[in-house]
Amino acid sequence: MRVKRPGVPPKMQPPMTPMIDTTFNLLIFFLLTPSFSMTEGYLTTNLPTTSGPVAGKQQIDVQRIKIELLDEGPKGERVSIVLNDNQNLGDNFDALRSALVNLRNQGLPPNHPVLLSPTMACRHKYVVKGFDQAVAAGFSEIHFAVPYQ
Amino acid sequence: MRTKKPESVNCQPNMTPVMDMVFNLLIFFILTSQFAKLEIEEVTLPPSTASVNKDYTQYKNIVINVVNPDNPHIVIFGQTMTLDEVTDVLKDRKEHAQPGETMNVILRADAEVPYEEVARAMLAAGRAQIMGWWITTEMFDPEKQAKKAQ
Repeated sequence: MRVKRPGVPPKMQPPMTPMIDTTFNLLIFFLLTPSFSMTEGYLTTNLPTTSGPVAGKQQIDVQRIKIELLDEGPKGERVSIVLNDNQNLGDNFDALRSALVNLRNQGLPPNHPVLLSPTMACRHKYVVKGFDQAVAAGFSEIHFAVPYQ
Repeated sequence: MRTKKPESVNCQPNMTPVMDMVFNLLIFFILTSQFAKLEIEEVTLPPSTASVNKDYTQYKNIVINVVNPDNPHIVIFGQTMTLDEVTDVLKDRKEHAQPGETMNVILRADAEVPYEEVARAMLAAGRAQIMGWWITTEMFDPEKQAKKAQ
């Protein structure tokens, strides 16, 4: 009787082509997605600390420029700007920039402190806009009023 | 005379190292994007002409998200936190910082949230004695925007 010899076992390989296609697609996706965050930037400032030798005391600097941002409307959807307690600029941020540029032209140095003091209901976008105007006028030391609790 | 037939040579690039590289890159990007997602929440950032792209990798950063203008609250590592909890997290992070490492808070606040929530986050950072404060914004170039509009 002739016995059939077992032949060479067939090669069992998974199909690699679709796997490689998927891998490349995933790679391209992950390479491209971080580029979306390139449109984000940062405004840098330093905060006052609320403990230590000056904790709880309000440091009053009569020389600083004070920008008050007052919320207007039932949900704070509008804003009113007051510069140095006496100049009411309405909601005109261009007027704020011009006033700050005038102050710079009067001889104030770039590191002259500027205090942004928004009301609690004032929207964050207006705070950033106020910060922008101070930077555009050439000031670099911009601080925020933070309530003490 | 018998002529030797030219043997056909199989000329295929070696794909094995290429595939190794691709898999390594893929694993890297999957892991890094996952870490970033843990800290960042979906917010509409306010536009700013003064903001700049800065290298945050030289600092020990903690991202504070202020989300949802209708019901504003602070979110860190995907969890909603009170003022005291934020202060504790910041203090803890500062305590575990390596010697010489500078702590930095990166604020990601929605454009429409009230300043109150942002001020609470500032207060927490102040209590934790962290002075570095970066506000994340959408970089806005008026000239580029005008060109786009045309």
